[in-house]
Amino acid sequence: MSEATAPATTADENAQPPAGRQPQGGGSGLRRFGRTLLAQEYLGVLVATIALVLLIGAFYPRFLQFDQLMSILNSATYIGILACGMAFLLAMRELDLSVGSTYALTALVCAMLVQDGFNSWLSALLAIVAGGLLGLFNALLIQYFGLPSIVATLATLAMYRGLTLALSEGTQVLGPPLEDSFSQVFTGDVAGVPVTGIVLIVVAALLTVVLRSTPFGYRVRAIGSNPDAAAFSGIPVNRVRMQAFILTGVLGGLAGVLTIGYLGAADPNTGTGYELQAIAAAVIGGTSLAGGRATIVGAALGSVLLGVVASGLAYFSVPINWNQFALGAVILGAVSLDSYVRRRRRQATARGPRL
Amino acid sequence: MLEAQGIRKAYGGVVALAGVDLTVLPGSVHALLGENGAGKSTLVKVLVGAVTPDAGVLRLGGRELRITNTADAVDNGIAVVSQELSLFPDLDVLSNLFPMREPLRAGLVDRRRMAELARPVLDELGLDVGLEQPVEQLPLDQRQLLEIARALITNPQVLILDEPTSALHARETERLHDVLRTLRKREVAVVYVTHHLEDVLAVCDEVTIMRDGRVAVPSVPARSLTVDRIVQHMLGDKVAAIVEERSHQGDMSFDPSTPALRLENVTVGGELEDVDLTVPCGRIVGLAGVAGAGHRAVLSVASGVLRPDRGRIVLPGGEPLKNNLRGAISQGVAIVSGDRKRYGVMLDKPIWDNVGQVSSVALRRDGMFLRAGRIRERAAEHVKRLGIKTPSVDQEVGMLSGGNQQKVVFAKWLEAAPSVLLLDDPTRGIDVGAKAEIYNLLRELADRGAVQLVSSSDPRELAAVCDEVVVFFNGRVCARLSGRDLDAHTILEVMNTGVPPRDPGPGHGHPVPDGAPGGRS
Repeated sequence: MSEATAPATTADENAQPPAGRQPQGGGSGLRRFGRTLLAQEYLGVLVATIALVLLIGAFYPRFLQFDQLMSILNSATYIGILACGMAFLLAMRELDLSVGSTYALTALVCAMLVQDGFNSWLSALLAIVAGGLLGLFNALLIQYFGLPSIVATLATLAMYRGLTLALSEGTQVLGPPLEDSFSQVFTGDVAGVPVTGIVLIVVAALLTVVLRSTPFGYRVRAIGSNPDAAAFSGIPVNRVRMQAFILTGVLGGLAGVLTIGYLGAADPNTGTGYELQAIAAAVIGGTSLAGGRATIVGAALGSVLLGVVASGLAYFSVPINWNQFALGAVILGAVSLDSYVRRRRRQATARGPRL
Repeated sequence: MLEAQGIRKAYGGVVALAGVDLTVLPGSVHALLGENGAGKSTLVKVLVGAVTPDAGVLRLGGRELRITNTADAVDNGIAVVSQELSLFPDLDVLSNLFPMREPLRAGLVDRRRMAELARPVLDELGLDVGLEQPVEQLPLDQRQLLEIARALITNPQVLILDEPTSALHARETERLHDVLRTLRKREVAVVYVTHHLEDVLAVCDEVTIMRDGRVAVPSVPARSLTVDRIVQHMLGDKVAAIVEERSHQGDMSFDPSTPALRLENVTVGGELEDVDLTVPCGRIVGLAGVAGAGHRAVLSVASGVLRPDRGRIVLPGGEPLKNNLRGAISQGVAIVSGDRKRYGVMLDKPIWDNVGQVSSVALRRDGMFLRAGRIRERAAEHVKRLGIKTPSVDQEVGMLSGGNQQKVVFAKWLEAAPSVLLLDDPTRGIDVGAKAEIYNLLRELADRGAVQLVSSSDPRELAAVCDEVVVFFNGRVCARLSGRDLDAHTILEVMNTGVPPRDPGPGHGHPVPDGAPGGRS
């Protein structure tokens, strides 16, 4: 792991460090790893996901088969990638409701370019760029018309979706054929792990580094924590917002391109409602709606949890029409539990000594 | 007759009012004076029902009042015109005059009746506006009069004017005086809270002066007072109690080639008029004035937040100031605000995260990858140097006391190694010990050559830490105090009257920066 040397932080020897929230005080590498893991904000969703998988597996052992779990990972990829971008926005008190439409529109762009004879990889690249531009458009609306992001992206949610329907004339557009190298790669797997799932893991890892170790990541969280103080520290709030929205758009494009690679066609109605699931996944993962805190790994895990619930319901042969209801209940449960735990923790620290 | 007796109020151990009596006669204008923090505004809040006192009685015309909110107060005949304008800008004049108490006819708002009620009051105040005019189209002074009209429409027995002149200019102040005379004729008991002492002597009948939550001078005739006596009563004998005042050397001259922060002929519409200011490296210059006098606008201009209409600002390095906040910060300007919870710290983040905010995060001086460990180490050094009392740099800032939070704000700016520090009421709401430590820090920074501009609501603080204090009045520099002129009494007197001390003293050899354009670059 990284340089985990305990920094010499004890300014006052006789001051007692408060319980928890204290960095590693030594011990073996394993214990240190354990403690680092325990300090993570996504711990809750990780435990919940594993527990739920084991619970379903106790009734239906077939659920625990590797292939089954990997197929859940594959299905969680798209919302997972969108949720990673959403976590950045939520961390700075913004929101993008247009991600589901961006996802559909970029998938369509990719498929149409392929239909026009472009190379499939080039088409994918252009579609991702298009996603970035859609995100930029959102940011410009917010900045120049002074719109709250929820309003601006509510409008573009409909606009992007409408554009998708209009351009496709309401029908599916086929992407590259199955024997194309692009389709070959994204329908494939590495040692049984689907490539789409690997993309999600790589994206989550990369973005975790961006959020935790780059000035951009710190800026995002600083703005969410206290926007005035951020501006008065010289953080270019507008530029950071623009970057975050472009990032979200690019991720929407990436998810759109992946669906072309995996399914081979763009459906104009694909991704409807994904924006809410992406927000739910991020929040379940431990990202705060109040801003200031985010976890990318948590957002990805949140989408996996949603996937586990959806396929678990199928195992318990709950009628498909109850799916939405069950998903809503899970979201409500996860978010309330999280809020409860945080409140308890806050009260506990508030009772501690004030210096 | 309004009587308050033995009013006490404490906010979690901090006593704001320690048994205050006040008697205001109908048909008299009663000035309520005191420094910031003396308890005036708490007393006003008690009178209008915005704050429930811990003890004490309010009587109006001999009848005991039980008011728990502002609507109660209005029903009982007590109206207030507050410091901050509280009109609804997008509603028209008429709608603003009857908030929550519109006359009704058959359950609907009766605008004709409203107009009948409003006209005479507006005429009485000499306020010539259309009833259908949206308030946002009115100039500031008319809005202020509109607030007074709104209060008068309720036909109050007591009218409280809480610093109404802060939004008014000299000409309209005359108007306000006319209004006060009208009120006197109407037999209204007026409580007039203000910082303009000349006003008090010109128009008030009686004066009550508060100090430290008590009444220092109860209801004396205004005729028996002078500005000088009032200031003495406001300050009391504690002038030198908190921090020893610096022995001010008289000589404020300096080598014109010393690097300095210069404001040259800076004008900002309605806020600053032709301000020239030179702050050489190593010097602490204080900015004083009553609300809206322009002293705080200087800080906004020097931090790039407020763009001057005319004039320019040159940094000690010789380069002109960029006219946005981020640009100014990248040029080495630091902004320490007393409103730390809003502008200073991230309460939910650890100390180290706050310390890195300017240098590592906003200015990216650590490159494209931040190592938390390294920021932690540097934060630990700041914690040690500034004496921040905390178990570790991982402590959330929200868990620290106010004084330690403010030290974190200093730490985050010192981490960026600024050359100009702009301090806006830097010790607001922190305890005496931490204040003294911060004063020492400012001296230390001055000795190391920083340029510092301090604005403060406390004249004692300015006298204690500054080499020179520039007093603003109506957007202009009205006096530059240094040497033996520099004491809390003089500052308070000059900022409240706008009249510079008669004997300029030896400290006034302030070199006029030669306005030759084309400075060194």
